[in-house]
Amino acid sequence: MFGYIAQRTAVYVSAGILLLMCGFPLYWMVLTSVKPDREIIQAIPTFFTWDAHLDAYQRLFTTTRFLTYFINSITVAGGATLLTILVAVLAAYAITRFRFRGREFVARTMLFTYMFAPIMIVVPFYIMMRSAGLVNSHLGLILSYTTFSLPFSMWMLRSFFQSIPLELEEAAMIDGASRPKAVALIVVPMALPGVIAVSIFTFIVAWNDYLFARVLIGADELKTLPVGIQDLYESTVTDWGMVMAAGVVVTIPALVFFVAVQRYLISGWGAGAIKG
Amino acid sequence: MTAVLAPSTPKPLGELRPRRVPEHWWGYLLLLPAVVLVLGLVLYPVGYSFWLSLHSKHAYMPIQNWVGLDNFIFFLTDYDGFWRSLWLGTIYAFGTVTLQVIVGVAAALVLNETFVGRGFIRGLTLFPYMLPTIVVVILMRWLFNDSIGVVKYLLESTVVTRAMVWFAPETIMLTMILVSTWTFFPFVVIGVLARLQTIDPELYAAAQIDGAGAFRRFVHITLPQIASVLFVVVLLRFMFMFTKFDTIWLFAGAGGLGSYVRTLPIYTFIKSFGELQVGMGAALAVIMFAMIAAFVTIYFRLFTRSEEM
Repeated sequence: MFGYIAQRTAVYVSAGILLLMCGFPLYWMVLTSVKPDREIIQAIPTFFTWDAHLDAYQRLFTTTRFLTYFINSITVAGGATLLTILVAVLAAYAITRFRFRGREFVARTMLFTYMFAPIMIVVPFYIMMRSAGLVNSHLGLILSYTTFSLPFSMWMLRSFFQSIPLELEEAAMIDGASRPKAVALIVVPMALPGVIAVSIFTFIVAWNDYLFARVLIGADELKTLPVGIQDLYESTVTDWGMVMAAGVVVTIPALVFFVAVQRYLISGWGAGAIKG
Repeated sequence: MTAVLAPSTPKPLGELRPRRVPEHWWGYLLLLPAVVLVLGLVLYPVGYSFWLSLHSKHAYMPIQNWVGLDNFIFFLTDYDGFWRSLWLGTIYAFGTVTLQVIVGVAAALVLNETFVGRGFIRGLTLFPYMLPTIVVVILMRWLFNDSIGVVKYLLESTVVTRAMVWFAPETIMLTMILVSTWTFFPFVVIGVLARLQTIDPELYAAAQIDGAGAFRRFVHITLPQIASVLFVVVLLRFMFMFTKFDTIWLFAGAGGLGSYVRTLPIYTFIKSFGELQVGMGAALAVIMFAMIAAFVTIYFRLFTRSEEM
């Protein structure tokens, strides 16, 4: 009995430590973003505020170009996501539904590209983009993020496509549907959890990237959030309330996507397991 | 290997339609966009990197000369630049990967127990890993702020008696390691927790009947079971941390304090885009690649040898 209580206590204490370690920084970010300035800068911090307001958010959106950066990030991440899905669906379909030489080789070589860290290819990448005239353009960024998420996306979709019975497609085609139609109406919807997982992965890759956005974008009106926030943070005397407000706003899309992916990934893997 | 990577191949659909274009052409055609992107934007740049590393090239100006191995020879004696960066990068990677594994395994063990609110805490534990780097950086700079940061306040009002300084030449590496551990330990949790859930509970029950305590159960049952996952996780984490750029660069900056955590990726960036010597930057990228390849080889050797014993 004593051993049981000790064990339970240890579990709850450890869980409490995890809660504090991961939850407190997030709580502190949100709290700082709504605190009045005088509470932010006092030497003895307050751990709760009765005087919460959204002034910092208002400053963020009215006195800086945060909204522009936000729209740019959405454009780039959204563009990369759409392009990735298109290219990865085609590639995964080709690999699972057609027999041709070098199929496996291509699939494995793609995965092999994850050996190269971004910092190792950013230099030649920049020079290439410069000579292609894609510096200071969102297209350059969209192409880079698509490429980075493509190998993972293709493998993910491939495993989903493999679990879809061919008979369904055949039936649709016997009923007169063309092959593109069969893919769009049967294969993609059935692989929806995979398509969603891939979209989220790509969106987050693009949303979070700093290195390529820093190197490829110079014009202020084209900057994405990570670069824009860095410049915001470094250019002025730090307005902590506003910087934390920026942190909260940037986190929200990642959070929404994270919550969504968790459920779909689990159900997707579950379905795969049943199939064997 | 092949069995895992190439599960049952579905039979082709081609017979269903009158053939105009040979079946396999469609395969190539549909795969083409993906191949073009990866070939053009990853593999070609890698090759180009090797070629650039043998040149002296300015980032903007059309200056480009063949210099052979001069870039590499330069780094051989570049003690304050290259060798120092290699040393700092090694400390950083070893330090943070060690902590990530310790914290990650401990967290996974806790999250594998049953307790009220487990689902919530599992989700929360993975969250630092999902945060955009820029958010981690500004948040940690605020928490660890040396004048009004809450970490300083909490430590000084409880356990620590002398003033804490997180942003100083002597401490910035430690701060950087702690911050990186916080951000990346969930990666270890994901892998280990998934593996823990597949361990047969009867193993523990049997050990308990035999009188094995919690520590012995961990060493003799849990550890051998999660060893293969840890093998992969440690390898990946080391490769990722050795080439980590954005967290360090954004957290510590380029000059001043940043020079005390100037790892190889940071040095590469400074050479390429600060000093605009892209040939040298490419040479550093090639060196990093060679080091990682060597590390992976040695790592596999060591691992397979210990398996045989």
